[in-house]
Parts: sequence; C-alpha cells; structure tokens
Amino acid sequence: MSTKHNLLHAPQGAVLRIVDIAGGEAVRRRLFSLGFHIGDMIELGAQAILRGPVLIKNAGTEVTVAIGRGIAQKIVVEAVDERK
Amino acid sequence: MNGNSAPVVIFIGQPNCGKSTLFNAVAGYKAQTSNFPGTTVKHTHSLVNIEGRLLNIIDLPGTYSLHPADPAEKVALRHLFLEKPDIIINVVDASILGRSLELTLELIEMEIPMVVALNMTDSAEKKGITIDAAKLQAKLGVPVIPTVAVHGRGLKELMEAAMRCLETKCRGARPRWSLDVERIVEGLTAAIPEEFVCIATRRFTAVQMLESGNLFCEEFLEDIVPGLKKAMDRSRAELKASRGLPAYEVIAAERHHLSQKIFEDVSSVRRRKRRGWGERLDDVFMHPVLGYPILLLVFLAFFLVIFKVGEPLEQLLIRPFTGLRGFLAAHLGGGLAFHLADGFTQGVGGGVAIVLPYFVPLLFLMALLEDVGYLARAGFLLDTFMHRIGLHGKSVSPFILGFGCNVPAIVSTRILESRRDRILTSLLIPFIPCSARTTVILALVAFFLGPYWALGFYLMNVLILAVLGWVLSLFFKTSSPGLILEIPTLKMPRPRNVGPKVYFQLKSFVAFAWPLLIAGSVVLGLIQSLHWDAIINTILSPLVVGALGLPRDLGVTLVFGFLRKELSLLMMLQSLGVSYADLLSAVTRNQLVVFTVFINFFIPCLSTFAILWKEMGKKIAFLSAALSISVAIVMSLFIRLII
Repeated sequence: MSTKHNLLHAPQGAVLRIVDIAGGEAVRRRLFSLGFHIGDMIELGAQAILRGPVLIKNAGTEVTVAIGRGIAQKIVVEAVDERK
Repeated sequence: MNGNSAPVVIFIGQPNCGKSTLFNAVAGYKAQTSNFPGTTVKHTHSLVNIEGRLLNIIDLPGTYSLHPADPAEKVALRHLFLEKPDIIINVVDASILGRSLELTLELIEMEIPMVVALNMTDSAEKKGITIDAAKLQAKLGVPVIPTVAVHGRGLKELMEAAMRCLETKCRGARPRWSLDVERIVEGLTAAIPEEFVCIATRRFTAVQMLESGNLFCEEFLEDIVPGLKKAMDRSRAELKASRGLPAYEVIAAERHHLSQKIFEDVSSVRRRKRRGWGERLDDVFMHPVLGYPILLLVFLAFFLVIFKVGEPLEQLLIRPFTGLRGFLAAHLGGGLAFHLADGFTQGVGGGVAIVLPYFVPLLFLMALLEDVGYLARAGFLLDTFMHRIGLHGKSVSPFILGFGCNVPAIVSTRILESRRDRILTSLLIPFIPCSARTTVILALVAFFLGPYWALGFYLMNVLILAVLGWVLSLFFKTSSPGLILEIPTLKMPRPRNVGPKVYFQLKSFVAFAWPLLIAGSVVLGLIQSLHWDAIINTILSPLVVGALGLPRDLGVTLVFGFLRKELSLLMMLQSLGVSYADLLSAVTRNQLVVFTVFINFFIPCLSTFAILWKEMGKKIAFLSAALSISVAIVMSLFIRLII
C-alpha cells in the first residue's frame, strides 16, 4: 500500500491514482464531467510559479486540465507502481 | 416535433470538439470558432438546403454533460429541450473519445434520433489512436461517421446519414449499467406515471431525478404525483447504500466506466516513443519559469506587429484623403456644403486609412492566437495573478478576447461558473483596450510619440485593471470557487479557420461600425456649420479646458466617443480643422496623451453598455459607466500632473 498525498505534495511526473476528491459537490461534479473520476490514473505535470495552478493529465483519456491550488489540495492521490 | 416546417437538427458535443467548425462547414460561416473550450456561448440558427431538403440546423454551446455547471452549458441544455430536435448530431472529439462518449451515452438515453460525428480523427491518428467506426456504431446503435471538420472531410456522408436517420428514426441502444444500479433505476422509472414526463422519456426522467442536485420540478413534484418524491428519495438512498457514494456519483461512475470500456473495445492505441510537437512546445509554453517571458514576448510581438504593419499603411492611405480635404476647402469655402462634404470624407477616410491599417492585423493575430490554443495556456500562467484581483485563470480568455472587442468578451463570461466571477470580469472588461481603442492609442500615441509610449500606455492600462480588480473584489464577500480549466491540445493554425474569422469580423465592422463613423462625422459637420458645437463645448469647457487642459474644441468629440471610440479620433481632426499629419500643430504632445487617456477609459461604448445591460442587468451597466467615468477623470488628471 503506497502513501497517500494531496496533489500538491505528489511526486511530479509519476503515475498517480485518484483516491478521493474531498471538495464540495460542485467541484466533484465539475471534475467528473471533465472526465476525472475516483480511481482514474493521472499524471502530474507542470506547476505554475507563485502558488499557481497545477496541470494534470488523465492517463486514460489523455485530457489535460489546469487546477487551482485550492482544489488541487482537496484531490487525494496515491502513487501507482508502473510495472504492474 | 414540428410537423410541416423544416426538421430541426441540433449540433451538440463537449466543449472544443469542433462543433462550430463542423456547423460552419455545413451552414456557411456563422458561428465563432477557436481552440478554447467554451468559445460558443450562445446558440446559432441556420436554415440550409441539403440535397433539396430544407433543414433548420442549430449549433449549441459545448457542454460536458447534461448537468450544466456554467451559464453557457445552461444555454445548451435549455435549447436542447426547447427546440424539440428531430435529430441530434453529437460531435465527439476522437482524440479524447473515452471522455467524449460520456455525453454521447447520456444523449442516447434521451431516445431522440441521433448520428455521431466522430470528429478530429486526424488528431487521434497523430496521437496513435485508431478508432474502428463500424465497431463503435455497432456498440452505440446509431450511425457513426468519421469526420475532419477543418478539412471538410466526411461532411457529405454525415449529412446523408442524418437524412437517412430522419427517415428511419434511428435511436441508439440504451446503455446497460451494473445490475444493482439498473434495478434501482428501473424501480424509479416504474414509479413515474406514463403521462408524467418532465423531459424525453420516463427512464431519462428517472435518471435525471437521481442525478440532479436540485431538480427542475422537485418543489412541486409532490403536488403532481403523490409518492413520487418519496420514491425518488428512497432510490437515491438505495444507490448510496449500495455503493457508499451519493447517487449522482454512482451514475457518473457507471457512465464513465461504460465509456472507457467502449473506448477500449473500439480503438487500438499505439504508444508513441516520442512526444508530439505540441506536447514538447507545451513544456516550454507552460514551463513554470520560461512560460512567463514567452507570454510577455507574445504580447509584445502582438502589439509591435500591429504597429509595424499599421503605421506605414496608415501613412500611405491617409495621403489622398488629406489632399481631398485641401481640395474641398479650396472649392467649397467654409459653409454647410464644405462641412458636410468634409464630414463625409473624414468618416470614409478615417475608416479606410486610420482604422483598418491597425484593425486588420489585430484581427488576424487574435484569430491566430485563438486557433493555436494559446488562450488556455495564458489562463494557466496567469491564474496566480488573477487570484490577486479576486478572479482565476478562466477569466483570462474573456480578457484577451476583450482586446479584439469588449462585446463578445462580455458574452464569453458565460463560461464562468459563478455569478460573482461573471460580474467582476464583466466590470473589468471595459477597461481592456479593444481594437477601437488600440487604433486610437496606436494612431495618436504610437504614431506621434513613438511605440514605447504606447507600450507604456498599455502597461498603465494593465496596472489600472489590476488595482481596480483588487478594489472591486473587496466588495464581494464570497471568494472565487477556483480554477478548473481544460487545456486543449495545441494545434497548427489553419487558414480555413483564421481566414473566414478575419473576414467575418471585418465584414461586421464595415457593415456596422463604418456607417456609424461616417454618419457621426457628417453629423459633426452639420453641427459645426450650425455652430451648435460651440454650445456643447461651452458646457463641457470646465472639464475639457479647466480640468484636462485640452483645447476647448475637443469637448464635442468626447460626447460622440460614446458611440464608438474611433469616432472621437476622427472628430478630433475634424473639430480642430487640421489634417492628420499636422495634428501636432494644433495640440501639444502632452495634450495628446491626456486626450487619449480620457477617451480610452471614459464610458464603455454604446455597444458595450448595451451588452452589459443585456447580459448582467441595468445595475451592472450603470455601475460600469460610473466606474469608467471616474477612472477616466482621475487618470487623465493624474497623467496631466505627472507629464
């Protein structure tokens, strides 16, 4: 069992699995409709300077979204062993 | 559905899937396109004749799902039900099929005849994704036609399939979910009486009931069908109990897994060894450090190119009009005939020689930036700065659109989820120098004082915007919900997108703004020959002469600036009675700067005011006007004092 982080503390470039979205219903719905669901594999991309947003890419659908830090903080992920 | 009139065909799909490009290819250029999710924020109608049959086709704003989160999505949903489509053309982005199918599955549940346009198959191929359209068609039970809208590929086949479907009423195979979920949905469906259909079918209504946060008819549900609300609450509770998740999440997850499964079944993905050019470029564009100098360079280049192209053109084009003016003065004297003829030549000449040289390159560059997909990147980079003024990165795109024209920029705030963000963004947009104001800035400040003065002017403008945003955000108690913005793949700009877009906007300038410039100049000529301008100038002289230190004759031009900002520029020459080249003989350089500052900020133009009223209400429109006037006065006084 790997450790869980929120997106801001997750290792960049690694493959991550979304474990939980601890935001309110509006945020959860928005992320679902953009194709980011609990259990999905994502890659963490660039992070803008000065507490800017982070980029995440869904490994399944190849959709990339920019997420503000406030919301990123609420997304719980765990690292996935890629050899699997 | 309407029986004898033209069948209604609706284009619907997720944001940025190429709906509008496809729609334009079918209907002729009518809808705006760009590489940014949420470009289309209103619906567009068009009657087209396809193989002898008249169709009423409608382009809707993109929507990720049938549960709207922002006003643009609400437009899509409302029209989907209002227009009672005879057929839906669901446009899906083949390069992100797994996600696009989630909406497709939702649409199929409505059981309205439907055809799927599998668009951007070329982008999918580039990503290494090959989709078996026939297999997808078999899975969904509706015709699936591969298309590449930007090249017009597959259009004929798509419309043929749509015509056939209109005859056969092809409906999709309703997706089957996990057994336990199916059982609960079926249970609720059975509780809905035959005659009670909120939308589409009973099952669709049942699913909507389970999924919606606050249902369209929840409040009066109990009055219409006793016991139905209880059945709904019970089903929601059952779903929650079986999966440990709220009902809407269970259904969203069902659709998600189903679309992923279909996607995996119908496509083969070759893993590429090398990353595509777009991704490598993105590494630089969105680099935490490099991204910012690049952003700055893009904006610098933007204005320098416009100026470097516009300036020589302006000099070249203005000469014949200056000559004509001298000729008119020599032959018509100083009476009514001269003033009218002079007004007319000023209006025509100003439009051709002063406005177009800057306007055309600006339109072209804007179209280029939009088509490449740079707006979303700018949104990512600037998010953190937008937070300082109480907004987030999604407002960047409306702001950048504002450099073209404030009117569509204000309409485009419909992509923002919260009303608070919409109000704040709409109040700030009128402070973005639009193409009309850019013309004034370039033709006055850059032309006579040098391009670096103009750049300084823009810098000051951005600073004012920031301070104003920060001050305004203090008045809102709630904070912004935060950024969630899709970053579309970078695309090569295509002449087929950029060309018509420039042409379309140019056409609307010639048809709408130019007559206004000519009419305004002629009216000024008339006022001058009747000496009414003296009255207006006298009334305004405390402001114009006293406070701003400008020539008294400029008072009347400010009044007309409300119609269009360029009009003030044209009228400035007319009312001072000098040609463009000799402008500095009538005003000093400092007066020129103060005049430009005042014109730039003073009152949103008539069209902007009207759209603010329409989109945000009377209060916001007047608030915006009051803000503009105050900022204009304060800033021009300040500038007058420091230079």
